[in-house]
Amino acid sequence: MVNQKIICSILLALSTIAILACLVIDFEAWIVYAVAIFGIPLWVLSLGLLTMAKPRPEDAEERVKEPFTGY
Amino acid sequence: MNLMADILINVIIAFLAGSLLLGLHRKVMARVQKRPGPPIVQHLIHSLKFFFKETAIPKTVSKVFYIGIVFILALVWIVGVIAGPVAHDSLLILFGVYAVYKIVEHNSGSSSGSPYGKLSCVRAVLSAATELPLFAAIVFVYLITGTMNIGEIIAYQSAHGPLVFTIPLAALMFFMLIITKSPYSPFAITKDKALISGFETEHFGFLRGFMLFSESIAWYVMLWVFLTIFFGPLNAVGYLIGMIVISFVTGFINATTPILSPNHSVMTQITIGAICFFGTVLMIFTGVVA
Repeated sequence: MVNQKIICSILLALSTIAILACLVIDFEAWIVYAVAIFGIPLWVLSLGLLTMAKPRPEDAEERVKEPFTGY
Repeated sequence: MNLMADILINVIIAFLAGSLLLGLHRKVMARVQKRPGPPIVQHLIHSLKFFFKETAIPKTVSKVFYIGIVFILALVWIVGVIAGPVAHDSLLILFGVYAVYKIVEHNSGSSSGSPYGKLSCVRAVLSAATELPLFAAIVFVYLITGTMNIGEIIAYQSAHGPLVFTIPLAALMFFMLIITKSPYSPFAITKDKALISGFETEHFGFLRGFMLFSESIAWYVMLWVFLTIFFGPLNAVGYLIGMIVISFVTGFINATTPILSPNHSVMTQITIGAICFFGTVLMIFTGVVA
């Protein structure tokens, strides 16, 4: 979980920097498209993985145990 | 304007407008069924709320795939925003976006490890039938305008009038696709309630919010493409009215039509597609279409 937090923070910082750089500097169109196509979903994904609430430790096992599948 | 600013503004507009239109769609369905229904902003609030909801990754999933597929769903529709409203690029890119969307539906179901997701994944293969009318509609647009470029199609229509009057059956085929992708559609066999939420069943909490974000953008992009290639050059008010009308009409259709079984859904789509295809061919060969 700590690893996930570190990776998400790094990805969020990288995608934010890349998007801001494209806003400030006029790069070639293909660079801006590449940053937008990968950067925007990455920004939302990493932000979401950081903001989402985690289950309480005593509930964690129950939560990952097939919420709907009935296995 | 700076290109990245243009893209960001269009993505935000697509998300907000798409969410509100899907909220309107749900409201219309509720009113037709004599229910009060949720507020129009409910879809938008849900999308944002889920980002803070408790999320756990089930043991049965393929973790990288399970998260990656949600990322790819957002990625393909951002490509849709860029190829459509931002760059007015080729229709073939948008066809590619839609094809990848089918793959996402398929793999989202298979990554979950849930039997409901897997069944939905199988139905996603069947529902590829919707792509045939879409491809045929694009081919007819090309035959009439001589181009796949959206900017040039807009220019053609400003000179010759909206394509909906020239090839109405092709527009109907595209409209079939919009009905298919609208929530609670009679053709939505991948999200049949018998499968809980289909391929989205095991994606809950933040990941569901992320999917709702992408689906709002998808709805906006599909409506934008339909209005742009069949209703000629439109201004912002024209797009707004067009999108509201289409959301209203699809909401009405979906509220009054039960979901079809997979085989009936596929056969109905193929039959309507075939009638529209041969009808348009006939119109071209008999000289009805110049």
